[in-house]
Amino acid sequence: MNKLFVSFLAIVVLGTAGFSQELKVSPSTLSLDIGKSQKLKAQVVDENGKVIDGRTFAFYSTKGRAISADSTGLVTAHLAGEYDVIVISPGENGKWLRTTVGVIINHPPIAKVEIIEAPTQMFQGTTLPLQVLVYDELNFLRDDVDVDFHSSKTNVASFDAFGNLTAEEVGKVTVSAEAEGIKGSINIEIIESPISRIKLSSDANAGRTGDVFHFSASVLDKKGKVVNNAPINYSFVGVSDNIEYSASGLIKQDGRFVADIAGTYTIMAKSGQYATQKTIKIVPRNVSRKIEVIGHGSVNNKHTSDFWIWEGLDGRDYGVTGTWGADGTAYFWDVTDPANIFKIDSIKVDARTVNDVKVSKDGTICVISREGASNRKNGIVILDVKNPKDVKVISTFTKNLTGGVHNLFIDKGIVYALSAGRKYYMVDINDPLKPHIVGEFELETIGHSIHDVWIENGIAYSSNWADGIQLVDVGNGIAGGTHKKPVRFASYTYPSGANHASFPFHSPTGKFYVIGGDEKFPYGLDPEGDKPARAAGFLHFIDFTDLDNPEEVASFEIPMMGSHNYWVDGEILYAAFYNGGVRVVDISGELMGDLYKQGREIAWIVPEDPNGYVKNAPFTWGAQLHKGHVFYSDWNSGLWSAKVEPAKPEPTKVEIK
Amino acid sequence: MKKLLLAFVFVIHIFVLNAQDYYVYVTAESEDEVALVKFDGKKAETIKTIPVGVWPAEIEGPHGITVDPSGKYWYLSLAHGNPYGFLYKFRTGSDDLVSKIQLGLFPASMQISTSTGLLYCVNFNLHGDMVPSSVSVVDPELMIELKKVTTGVMPHGSRISPDGLYQYSVGMMSGELFEIDAVSLKVSRKLDLDKSAADMGMNHSTMGHATSNSENKPMDHANMDHSKMNHDEMKEMKHSKVKPTWVTPHPNNGKAYIAANGAAQVLEVDLKTWEVSRKWDGGKGPYNIDITPDGNKLIVTYKTDGATGIWDVEKGVELARIPNTNSVSHGVAVSSDSKYAFISVEGKGDDKGRMDVINLETMKIVDTAFLGKQAGGIAFWKQE
Repeated sequence: MNKLFVSFLAIVVLGTAGFSQELKVSPSTLSLDIGKSQKLKAQVVDENGKVIDGRTFAFYSTKGRAISADSTGLVTAHLAGEYDVIVISPGENGKWLRTTVGVIINHPPIAKVEIIEAPTQMFQGTTLPLQVLVYDELNFLRDDVDVDFHSSKTNVASFDAFGNLTAEEVGKVTVSAEAEGIKGSINIEIIESPISRIKLSSDANAGRTGDVFHFSASVLDKKGKVVNNAPINYSFVGVSDNIEYSASGLIKQDGRFVADIAGTYTIMAKSGQYATQKTIKIVPRNVSRKIEVIGHGSVNNKHTSDFWIWEGLDGRDYGVTGTWGADGTAYFWDVTDPANIFKIDSIKVDARTVNDVKVSKDGTICVISREGASNRKNGIVILDVKNPKDVKVISTFTKNLTGGVHNLFIDKGIVYALSAGRKYYMVDINDPLKPHIVGEFELETIGHSIHDVWIENGIAYSSNWADGIQLVDVGNGIAGGTHKKPVRFASYTYPSGANHASFPFHSPTGKFYVIGGDEKFPYGLDPEGDKPARAAGFLHFIDFTDLDNPEEVASFEIPMMGSHNYWVDGEILYAAFYNGGVRVVDISGELMGDLYKQGREIAWIVPEDPNGYVKNAPFTWGAQLHKGHVFYSDWNSGLWSAKVEPAKPEPTKVEIK
Repeated sequence: MKKLLLAFVFVIHIFVLNAQDYYVYVTAESEDEVALVKFDGKKAETIKTIPVGVWPAEIEGPHGITVDPSGKYWYLSLAHGNPYGFLYKFRTGSDDLVSKIQLGLFPASMQISTSTGLLYCVNFNLHGDMVPSSVSVVDPELMIELKKVTTGVMPHGSRISPDGLYQYSVGMMSGELFEIDAVSLKVSRKLDLDKSAADMGMNHSTMGHATSNSENKPMDHANMDHSKMNHDEMKEMKHSKVKPTWVTPHPNNGKAYIAANGAAQVLEVDLKTWEVSRKWDGGKGPYNIDITPDGNKLIVTYKTDGATGIWDVEKGVELARIPNTNSVSHGVAVSSDSKYAFISVEGKGDDKGRMDVINLETMKIVDTAFLGKQAGGIAFWKQE
């Protein structure tokens, strides 16, 4: 007791002493040019300002790439910006002292302003946006400085506030861009415009919302000869047929136009002072159909994950569903009668999540993924599903897959299995008793990760979050790749970095799209876990027809709902949208703009189940069309089937594209 | 003033002596939850569950947890990201999220130094390639990563010396013990545990290592066919036999204790001589270790056996081996009064996670609290 008392008293005294000490660093703030250094001096003083000897000091940069601080307090500037150096004087039992020194690293002066891709001549009356690059003395490209534009003769050519240069009169002019007193200039000659008129044509005069029109404008001189280098600007105005909706659409500067809302749209082409226009009629797309629930195989004691439907060797139809955050069970179903889905078997493996389940094309092998194995070895489990009523484990494979397999795909005896969200391995299961790795694919970017992989026609479509969609030849031959030596040949990334799924779609139009899906949860979690989760994110349609220049052309987005897995059959997309259920989408024809707003949604169905694991909380995982029925799995309620009524085309009153 | 101080001290002592309630934070790695467990000396129960992470349909894996020396904040590592994991900072009591930062691959165990105030968290990279990973040094006040210090393959068991000036971790697959200078943030020493454990007690001066073949000549590497040895594959296959998973420095005897998971041993390393000084044969799969603040007992979880061992540190004798209430024993934390050990028990599949409370005097399980799946990281918060 006495010892305890003394020790407690000692702590109180030390604590009091500790609080009376102060760490002082001079200078208390720093301003440095890049490449320059300055030393900080640190000392600890008591309440009387007396320096306490014997203290040590450590100096830490809060951003090592921008500013460094060594053990002597020497601070060196590397990148412009505002940073802190933390100074600590260690002291036992929580008696360390610390302070921060603010450091401003100055940008180098601007060294060069360059006007790029500007013509030497402009036609009178035309307007061009000038592009400018600004470099500083260290040759860093700078986009954080204001640029002012000047014309030597504003009556000849003048700028607006955004750097658009309009050729007013014939003559010669020097135009300049200036940043921090540094100028870049070019000379432009304004010549008399040969433009006499503009001819505008389109590939149709009427169509439906979502149909993509191709307008083509020709600029002609007085003799009717085409003026090749005249700039053309496309725009449109629209009048909606329904006053409840505003006319809207999208026009590209190559002449493509799509309308979202039925109405009358006038497309204009302008070159200099000349313009022309053409009006087209847009009618509703009118693709909506009824959809109804046909059957439900309930799983309401645990979460359901992915699923797969296939025709068994006996000609009957079967399904397999995984489970999530539970006991490592996969359920097998007879879905031959979609109105009467019933469990026929189950397999339980050492896992907490069986996130993905896939069945070989011949219907004999099922591979399920493992996460949360008690020995942390995870990997995949290969199942014999020749008789889905009596599923048997053939083998378990964990080599290089211990981090958990989140997704997988089976193609021609090879399992493409994700490993710890970093890469995928090709596992040969031709002898399912002896699975072995024959190849692997991993990106080389810093901080790369992967969420999904899908194989079609020898091409692996992987979804790689910030690294976007990656197309890899694993046997197609397009880039000389095989599953043993995969070769990446195309890719597309988008700014949100949320790419979670990818699915190829070869449109009958000749276009080759890859549909990239997001996964996002910006609205947080329900702390109690008994309310529906709300997702975000959407589907991105990337035109990969030119593999070297993929272009994001369209999107399908439903506000406050988020995309997950999806399936394409013919020209119809079946997309699971978590809290938004299954959305059936018409993706016929060329795609451009906002597909949802264009009325391309054919049907939707939301699996609300009052007896669900979380009641009435739809959270749809994936969808698959099988023999005319839409099957879909839901996180809180199991496996469902639905039927979309056949299309009933209405007599068309206008010319359809 | 003196009377007032004495009265204050007296009241505090009465309060401490009568303290009965212990509070422990435990992670549920496969539930994305943290449980706050209260133990009143008899009953242990989860009194609060804190959901962590942001992805409802992805397990983010809360793994490591620590409470800062002031007891005001707790810190949690979330192992899985895209691809990097995160460190979260919460306020104790209210359990409000304060801030988060991204660290490395599979950030895991961590501790804050009482001398620098900095947090040292290993980037376990449990499922990555067999390449050296790192220890992230974080300023927990600004929640900024100051440095990644490269260490061994699959570093784990980040624990700080009693004086707060050194951080220790082990490379699970490279079989190394690392000591990082907590101030300079540089590796000050490393120890090959496989070699040191094998060499323990040997007198190398009499072993004639220089004469390694029958003719007492040095090996002639120049005449060996190294091309057939597949050194690349051998490098990938470097697996420690000791497979250390945890290190804890002793509070006062100048030693550190290591869970040699692959060898089913506890290794004692003399921090002065920097060599293995004792080896204790224990249960299978020793995983985490803690030592009572009075320094007398060492508690080690035997993951494979699903049991907990209690050792007399001075004598090197296992006083008891107590089966846990379920399989896959994981973490251990000891109460500040050295009376109780709190053991997290993962279980399998959809088993509920558990926290067994062991009375270190009777060496029996007093009670068990239940929490979300795969109870893992564990941190003692307070006694009151």
